[in-house]
Amino acid sequence: MLLAENLLEELKTIIPQERIKEKDRKSDPLGNSGKITVLPVTEEEISAVLAYANEQGKKIVIEGGGTKRGFGGVEEEGDILLSMAEFKGVVEHTAGDMTLTVKAGTTFNELQDFLLDYEQQISLDPPLREQATIGGIVSANESGPKRLGYGSSRDAVIGLRMIYPDGTIIRAGGKVVKNVAGYDMNKLFIGAMGTLGVITEVTVKLRPIAKYESLILLSFEEQDLEKIRAFSKELLDSSIEPVVCELLNPSLSKKLIGEEQYTLAVSFEDVESSVHYQEEFVKKMKPDGAKLKLLSGMDAQDFWRIFSAIAPNGNEEESFEEAAVKIGAVNLTIVDIIKESRQLSSSFSVSAEAHGGLGHGISSVYLKGESKELLKAITHLRKTAESLGGYAIVKHLPLALRKEIEVWGKKPAYFFLLEGIKKKIDPKRTLNPKRYVGGL
Amino acid sequence: MVKQAEIKENPPCTTQKSLSNYLWKDHPDENKWADCTHCGMCLESCPTYELTGQEQHSPRGRVHLIKSVAEGKIAVNEQFMDPVYTCLDCRACTTACPANVDVGGLIEEARGQIRQSMPLTGAKGAVSKLFLNGIFPHQNRLNSLGGALKLYQKSGMQKVIRKSKLINVMPKHLVEMEAIMPKVHMPVKKKYKNESVIPAKGTPKGDVALLTGCVMDVMFSDINEATINVLTRNGSNVRIPQNQTCCGALHVHAGDRDSGRKLAKQNIKAFSDAEKIIVNAAGCGCMMKEYAELFREVEPEWHDRAVAFSEKVEDVSKYLYDTGYEKPKASINKRITYHDACHLAHGQNVREEPRDILLKIPGVEMVHMPNADRCCGSAGIYNITNPEMAGEVLESKMKNVPDDVDMISMGNPGCMLQMAMGVQKYGRNQKIVHTVQLLDWAYQKERAEEEENHGSEGN
Amino acid sequence: MAVKGIKTKDKHIHGLAKLVGGQRAILYHKEDLVAYDCDGFTIHKHLPRAVVFPKNTEEVAKCVKYCATHNLPFLARGAGTGLSGGAVPLHNEVIISLVRMKNLISVDLENRRAVVEPGFVNLKLTNSIADRGYYYAPDPSSQYCCTIGGNVAENAGGAHCLKYGVTTNHILGLEVVLPDGEIIELGQNGIPDAPGYDLLGLMTGSEGTLGIVTKITVRILKNPEAKKTVLAYFDNVTDGSQAVSDIISAGIVPAALEMMDKTAIEGVEAAAFPVGHPKDIAAVLLIEVDGIAVGIDEQITQILDVCTARNVREVRAAKNEEERARWWANRKTGFGAMGAISPDYLVQDGVIPRSRLPEVLERIEQISEETGLRIANIFHAGDGNLHPLVLFDARIPGQTEKAIEAGSACLQACADVGGTITGEHGVGIEKREEMRFVFKDEEIIAQTNIREVFNPGNLLNAGKLFPTPGRCGEVKKEMKEALLAQ
Repeated sequence: MLLAENLLEELKTIIPQERIKEKDRKSDPLGNSGKITVLPVTEEEISAVLAYANEQGKKIVIEGGGTKRGFGGVEEEGDILLSMAEFKGVVEHTAGDMTLTVKAGTTFNELQDFLLDYEQQISLDPPLREQATIGGIVSANESGPKRLGYGSSRDAVIGLRMIYPDGTIIRAGGKVVKNVAGYDMNKLFIGAMGTLGVITEVTVKLRPIAKYESLILLSFEEQDLEKIRAFSKELLDSSIEPVVCELLNPSLSKKLIGEEQYTLAVSFEDVESSVHYQEEFVKKMKPDGAKLKLLSGMDAQDFWRIFSAIAPNGNEEESFEEAAVKIGAVNLTIVDIIKESRQLSSSFSVSAEAHGGLGHGISSVYLKGESKELLKAITHLRKTAESLGGYAIVKHLPLALRKEIEVWGKKPAYFFLLEGIKKKIDPKRTLNPKRYVGGL
Repeated sequence: MVKQAEIKENPPCTTQKSLSNYLWKDHPDENKWADCTHCGMCLESCPTYELTGQEQHSPRGRVHLIKSVAEGKIAVNEQFMDPVYTCLDCRACTTACPANVDVGGLIEEARGQIRQSMPLTGAKGAVSKLFLNGIFPHQNRLNSLGGALKLYQKSGMQKVIRKSKLINVMPKHLVEMEAIMPKVHMPVKKKYKNESVIPAKGTPKGDVALLTGCVMDVMFSDINEATINVLTRNGSNVRIPQNQTCCGALHVHAGDRDSGRKLAKQNIKAFSDAEKIIVNAAGCGCMMKEYAELFREVEPEWHDRAVAFSEKVEDVSKYLYDTGYEKPKASINKRITYHDACHLAHGQNVREEPRDILLKIPGVEMVHMPNADRCCGSAGIYNITNPEMAGEVLESKMKNVPDDVDMISMGNPGCMLQMAMGVQKYGRNQKIVHTVQLLDWAYQKERAEEEENHGSEGN
Repeated sequence: MAVKGIKTKDKHIHGLAKLVGGQRAILYHKEDLVAYDCDGFTIHKHLPRAVVFPKNTEEVAKCVKYCATHNLPFLARGAGTGLSGGAVPLHNEVIISLVRMKNLISVDLENRRAVVEPGFVNLKLTNSIADRGYYYAPDPSSQYCCTIGGNVAENAGGAHCLKYGVTTNHILGLEVVLPDGEIIELGQNGIPDAPGYDLLGLMTGSEGTLGIVTKITVRILKNPEAKKTVLAYFDNVTDGSQAVSDIISAGIVPAALEMMDKTAIEGVEAAAFPVGHPKDIAAVLLIEVDGIAVGIDEQITQILDVCTARNVREVRAAKNEEERARWWANRKTGFGAMGAISPDYLVQDGVIPRSRLPEVLERIEQISEETGLRIANIFHAGDGNLHPLVLFDARIPGQTEKAIEAGSACLQACADVGGTITGEHGVGIEKREEMRFVFKDEEIIAQTNIREVFNPGNLLNAGKLFPTPGRCGEVKKEMKEALLAQ
């Protein structure tokens, strides 16, 4: 207790008292909290907190919107929880340049709302976009079904400003869309789970909001998986340009559209004539027996808004019994992954909702169930992924279970390089300790 | 732009002649390499770079080396000679170059330096000497060799010949096949020795002089005959100046620029009265269009005459295309692919004209050859001096020849021999023909059909 | 143990020759090495110690291990078309040429990827899959001859990266030989987001200083259903650049949006692929839109309207594929074409926020006046990537230095408006000092720290990419001396 009080007193000398909070919860089933929470509003404050912690050997846990509390890490708390929630707002936006610089604590929805006036957008569709902050999204290299058309965080980010554990402010990239001056340092921090530095500002490239959009939902009978694979293959080999080609398993499909069937979501964003042309194209291709549903404009947007909220949210108690698994696999083997997710509930007492992109290779499986069953299901999914040449990582799991399973999977053969990088930047392991691959 | 005078008065260190390791007359032309920005666009066009992956065997690498000698960084020696002589002189780089750097010209000039400082030795030297000084300039010796087989036996090519049944390339074969074309055994230069003009059939449109060539007229006299036929058929009076000689291309390619100049001067004189000089061998045409290069530094008093001469030189396909020719009425029902001779496509930018001729012949089905303008490896006597590389270039060429064609047409005798060898070596069965031969063949067939019709009508 | 046919006393030449299969896979005579004393950046020239031509990853690893063991500096080279001197052997390096590793290993159209060796030429990939309706998107102007390995090292861009991104957005996996000879695989099976710091992203664009790439898995794309290209002539540059902004602001994402100014037009028209641009025009825009055919016409109409509103003199769409190809050949050979109007040129590669185009062009004009050198501008206007081409004659004493100064001043102008010093050509030797225009010392150290993790002995391609701390004066001097020595 004494320790925490000392810490509190010392922190008060570097950051105004009203932005320091003591922990008010008894326990944190998801972990990744801190004895004391600080909510800085300036870069200087962040830098000072980091320098202080690094000097004193204190551990810092970084948080944005709190949605990813269950993502990685094996400690219940660090000394300081650095919350970026108050460090928000647009820093620079030049409409004609189609770039935007924002503070890391800005939520994704705040950003998109801001850009709406300019008919622009960040072309990303990360989960939980209402609460997730851009800093967190980038730190976890998030993406969604529209990855097929627009890529992931690593494709959208062109510049970062971050603070190293010793308090040094470092910029990577810039605010221009093409930049090869020096190493592409952005890449190191995107997806690094905050283990190398605290991202304070993110510069992203923008796209115009599509003039028109629509979504086609094709539902197939259970036994038609090969039909889906063949159909997707044909669709992706055609000259139409879907921005989404995502397969939903029956339980997720039921939740979203009331059809308990494998459903393929295919969406288009372009000028209206082109979108309609592509809708017709799909309608003509539609295999016999598949049910087709078309959502246009706002209806499509509503669908994606609801879709964004299906992932377990670290801010909500119900997530204490949930798990989320991200699987990477070769594009068309996604069908096998989604099929496996469907069969999970017959082998284990879990419920599983899943979706995966046939054009980008990333699937998400959301599980609910008893602890032991969750672990078994995760292990099974990982085996499946690995047998297909891919990998599985656990994006959300209660702390107690995270200690029992390697959430990032096996260390890669080149782990010594990852370790070398961590040592160079954060030799004292001040930031998000043990949150990343191999205990980085 | 830089003022020329300024440079001459005040030579900056890089151009000081004293640094240069080119110690002989007729220097490689500094202005030719000045345009090279080392961008690399030429790399993939170069057959020898494709095969070796080595930059000294690439166009920009060679230009760089040639320039480095001038800058005194390296000497003219065996090591320098290798890349300069491994060049096929196919000029594909000239086409690829965004700044129109005349790599071929530089190579020839550099070879001139090498030949002067290092006279030929060894087997390569002997072969070169036999061809360049012993045979090509001497029409009578060529004649007395009596044709391709003997010539090649003498040159140590016997083995290749035996395998390749060069008979495939001989127009005689065409004759036997269709029994239409007249048999020709005599070089046209000899045959028309006493005719000052072979008159046009019908109303004459103009006068042309024909380069009969050295090898061409002995080994391919049928092609010369065919050329005369199509020219006269389309209204040209054809003259064959008797004092003409070998064009000198092979000498210049080999670095023997003195012989090249000698031959050039003789041809300039022999054709001084001609309005148009028609050539049916791409290599000769290209050389004759570049005579002026030979007189840039040496005997400059010939320079202007050479320029005037060059302006009159024209490939037969381009001449026909430009002045118009009759579309034959008889059909030749063959599938034909066309190979761009380097010195026609890259050297003279003649690409569409011969294809147009083929397409005009009824019944001809043209089949696209990928990379049609890639060198076949013949490159003058390159296939004799650098057989290994020539073989590899040929192999890569043959991969592009479509399987299902009856004939490969082209406009250069060197290519015809090399491609015939390729056809044989890789177990293919195409016939090798010169473009004008096909046109002539169609005309002959047309006449035969007409005569037959007249005959039958008469009955 | 001497190797047959090798005539030198240098034991390392024999040692290396043994690893790659003998004399046909190594160069060591000065006359041959001269061809390797520079790449597409010709201002710095240094002879390598030798050039080796490995056939496969194992041979590369063996050569690397040999160099590491014997403390020999070394570097990798592809087609040598880089424009910043990244492949110049500053320290008499052993050059490991990857051009004989030029196989297309596999194509997996269903999963939209291909695996190539590093020496495989960029355009050949598209040519190999074009008949099945696919292509590889990054298209640097040198794509006829540059290798994909080199593209990875430089994170190459191209005219069409406005819509489709640069090389890094298309790399799914790499096999890399680390500077100690160990072989690692990044992005296994070409599956994205492998757990762990994004070494794939870091390696791409590291200019051959972190490792040697020996196998590459790339993403391939389906050909767009339709493509349309528009050419627009403007009487002043400001109207042209305003039109660029207007097109983007109208919500159109063109596949390419290219601009050339008057001097550049003079160059391309005097060179091998003229298309007949009017001589008195201030700027030409080349705009390409691709996608679904029915949507394109609408966008083309919009583009024509935008151009008209900006006082375009003439604007028209390409009549056919042939015309389109001619326009592109004219543009893509633009750099080399400068050879036709100037004996030498120095190309710069700044990037600026698109909206600052007019003022930066004005500044470049000023620089041209100050130095008395003509500067042509060719640029990827859509993404603000400017290529000022400083025209000079190296034979005139002092001009080279002046050209370098002018180039540097152009980069300063880009940095001043919040841009950067290189968008696709890389830093190499050329822009080491200019790195200071955009990075503080701490930021440069942060990067060299990363290099130390991979390349602790700094034997691999040393002296590239970063200014030497505290030695900037010396570097400038060194550069000057190198120039004078030429």
